[in-house]
Amino acid sequence: MAIQTPPNGTAEAPIEVSEVPTVVGINFGNSYASIAVLTKEGSSECIANEDGERQIACAIAFHGEQTYIGNQAKHQLVKNSQNTITGFRNLLGKKFSEIPSNKLTISAPVIQHPKHADEPAYKVEVLEAAPSPLPPTASNTPAASQVATPRSEPTPATRYLTPSEVTSIFLTSLVKSAEDFLGKSVQGAVITVPAWFSESQKAALEKAAADAGINVLQLLEEAGAVAVTTTSEAVADLPKDRTQLVVDLGSSGLELALLSIREGLAYSLATLSDHTVGGDFIDDKLIKFFAKEFTKKTKTPLNVAPSEGTQDKRAEAKLRLAVEHTKRTLSASPGAANCSVESLKEGLDYTGSINRLRFDMEMRSIYDQVYSKVKELIASAGLDLYDVDEIVYVGGSASLPGLDETLAQGFSENVVTPFTAGTVVGGGIGDPTTILARGAALQAKIIVSLPENTDEEKEVKLAFTGHEGSEWIKTKATSKSLGLIFPEENAEGSLGGQWVPVILKETAVPARRTVQVDVDLGEASGEQKVGFEVVEVKEGIKIEKEKPPKVEYDDDDDEAPEEDEEEEEIEVK
Amino acid sequence: MANIVKVPVVPTALKSDWSPPQPTAKSISPLVERRLLPAGTAYLGHVRRAVHKLTFEEHDK
Ligand SMILES: Nc1ncnc2c1ncn2[C@@H]1O[C@H](COP(=O)(O)OP(=O)(O)OP(=O)(O)O)[C@@H](O)[C@H]1O
Ligand SMILES: [Mg+2]
Repeated sequence: MAIQTPPNGTAEAPIEVSEVPTVVGINFGNSYASIAVLTKEGSSECIANEDGERQIACAIAFHGEQTYIGNQAKHQLVKNSQNTITGFRNLLGKKFSEIPSNKLTISAPVIQHPKHADEPAYKVEVLEAAPSPLPPTASNTPAASQVATPRSEPTPATRYLTPSEVTSIFLTSLVKSAEDFLGKSVQGAVITVPAWFSESQKAALEKAAADAGINVLQLLEEAGAVAVTTTSEAVADLPKDRTQLVVDLGSSGLELALLSIREGLAYSLATLSDHTVGGDFIDDKLIKFFAKEFTKKTKTPLNVAPSEGTQDKRAEAKLRLAVEHTKRTLSASPGAANCSVESLKEGLDYTGSINRLRFDMEMRSIYDQVYSKVKELIASAGLDLYDVDEIVYVGGSASLPGLDETLAQGFSENVVTPFTAGTVVGGGIGDPTTILARGAALQAKIIVSLPENTDEEKEVKLAFTGHEGSEWIKTKATSKSLGLIFPEENAEGSLGGQWVPVILKETAVPARRTVQVDVDLGEASGEQKVGFEVVEVKEGIKIEKEKPPKVEYDDDDDEAPEEDEEEEEIEVK
Repeated sequence: MANIVKVPVVPTALKSDWSPPQPTAKSISPLVERRLLPAGTAYLGHVRRAVHKLTFEEHDK
């Protein structure tokens, strides 16, 4: 990248010059969240919470006087689902009347808040610790009232928690995990949000975070976090000007974005969401597969996804928890992956297994659906699959190698994916489950070190923190590629010479590119000249059978005079 | 600092009878409106140059 953040120690750095800022990046999904911190080396990494989890389930459960948060809470879905809260992120900023009533909830019921008009709330039963007696003070407590002994038994109570309150509790626990890890308090956080989050959803999240005492540096669109991660950490051989396809397959849906990345400056060319595919649908297929096996083995009928009756419902909940492990094993290795459930139904234990080949067969329709959506997205941007230089995977379900294998068929064989680059394994830089949090942490580092002494500096900072309103995100960009043609005798094609693209189409202006070429002057003696023309071209892709695909340029033969807003520097050596 | 792209193309010398084409009055194709993702150091540089009214070279310093 051309521009680097000023390293600590420059005039612009904040007071603690020698320290890594204690900021965090939070990927706040609807199902899972993750937290990243900065390393001394200047990169970022995901950390585990107290329970050793990097993917922390967005779940809170109340059991008696206990409150569980994260994967422990998710386990409460088996026997205590009525007091277990999930799916709260997507309810942020929504009115009660906006929530579809047919939405199947396996967790605590969402009801109209008893006090606030048209506000949703989760209703849970808890045990509240006995109130401790008021401290005796001369002013408000007459001596006689001290006689009552405080109750020592906790009392059952009904609590109503708004999605915002639940979010605050959850975010507090994430930040606490980070503070335990860092041994310091957290100065600020960048939290990721999906592209479709509305202003009211963002406002609700911001408020929930503020209530949790978090200094929110920015709510960053997920694609922005991806761009930061993938342009900060070097991936071998990728051009700095490239077209990137982001495939985010989470729990409840697929989010696609096609990004123009130009020396780190990124914008979206097209986006697409599909909420009929995702990890939950993978689970449906997988638990049906195991339930069938169970019935075959034990002759005990078991119907799941959907299930009816308490027994089958409970069995389904247990299977859903168990396949979490199965899927992760399948992503990590092609061999057999187990699924074990104690007392699945009628006291019968179950252990089954599936290998990747079989799994991929079961998931074929899911992979194909993602592929067809990808084609739809790229077509909507007026591009071809061969225009994509890089595929980036985001979201837990995108860790499955079968998905990459399915997509790869359609792209150029040079397309770089984290699977081909080998950066997925062992929490590598391409790891789909940590990429958002890491990007958010790197972004937090940038924002926290921005000075705010002058009006201009404040304006620069606002370009990150301001919402949709920020002027600076608006830009003009080229619609055709500009480059150089070195005239040549008997040149191939219609250009009359060798073509060197310099400023690609979809590059924000002003732009600067510097290219360097070696020239071959041959054996001839005497003065010789090397020249080139600056041209704008219309690009197309020509695919010839049996030969590798080749890019053909139809020359408009316009000599492009430099526009005022264009800065171009061409160095010929 | 500017990122320098090393181009794999190796041009040869011009033919002695080559003369530059006449400059055309045409400008580049119309620019399109886009919305940047407010993320990363490149975006920071882009905004800084705009707000402080700096050229690339001035910003390099
Ligand atoms: N290694 C893995 N292999 C396969 N699937 C995985 C893996 N890790 C997590 N998953 C699945 O990924 C899903 C969670 O993905 P992610 O954390 O991206 O979801 P999310 O962002 O919270 O949800 P959404 O974006 O759909 O609201 C779950 O279905 C989980 O089972
Ligand atoms: Mg997600």
